[in-house]
Amino acid sequence: MRLGEPARMQAAINITPLVDVVLVLLIIFMVMAPQMRKGPDVNVPNTTKPNGQGDERGRILVSIDDAGKLWINDQSVAADHFGEALQTAAGAEQNPRVVIRADAKLNFVQVRQAMEAVEQAGFHGVGLIAKRAGAEGK
Amino acid sequence: MQFNTDASGSSLQADINITPLVDVVLVLLIIFMVVVPLLMEGYDVDIPRASADAAVQAEASQLILNIGSTDCPILRPPAEEGIPKNCQVTLAGQKIAATELPPRVAEILGGRPAEQRALFMAVDDRLNYEGVLRIIDLAKSGVENLKIEFIATN
Repeated sequence: MRLGEPARMQAAINITPLVDVVLVLLIIFMVMAPQMRKGPDVNVPNTTKPNGQGDERGRILVSIDDAGKLWINDQSVAADHFGEALQTAAGAEQNPRVVIRADAKLNFVQVRQAMEAVEQAGFHGVGLIAKRAGAEGK
Repeated sequence: MQFNTDASGSSLQADINITPLVDVVLVLLIIFMVVVPLLMEGYDVDIPRASADAAVQAEASQLILNIGSTDCPILRPPAEEGIPKNCQVTLAGQKIAATELPPRVAEILGGRPAEQRALFMAVDDRLNYEGVLRIIDLAKSGVENLKIEFIATN
């Protein structure tokens, strides 16, 4: 050992723990992704070619679960207050888009009544959410 | 002659360079976080408003699709993909099998300009929602930019 040479310091940051953490986060996100939806569990209908439903910003999500209960975003709403609740959810949004996520087991009448309520609350046009047949998730 | 000033001789780097890996993983993470809430697919539909759509409604050329529960008995979610074979619908007064919808709708609406392609649907309330969406899916597959409007059954 030469004199004057100090014990060498390691200059590089050890990033192995960082990689560990990031990989674990990634896996958690991949697993949780299908469950991160707002609102109740809804088994939406299967179809062949649904179209994209655009951006989440400025979108109000109305869910109808298999018991026919109405939800706005992640809150359960009584049918008589549905219109007011929708307007509250819209807030200052100029032209919000309403999408309806209704359970496949429902009768058409339950969805139609919800659409009429949305229309009466002053929103024009809705999107009916479906999932591509054979696709994972909901 | 030794150029190397390092006491340990020319040192090979034994560690794998994981910086690109970290980059890729972080970007993947961000992509997942951004895309997850946007993944939603469905159908745009309308209920014609008395005033706004009166003009469209008044047109004699409007195409009406009637789905009744006697001719098309989808009262619970279809067990397999597609529409049950026994489903018949009434398109512009003519009774046809639901599976014939795409060519028939294309035949009637294909020649019209895109903004006039509207299908007015009168759907029996008792039908299953999934079955109705599948019929919409089928009808839309015939022509592009098809507008769906729900009207009351009578």
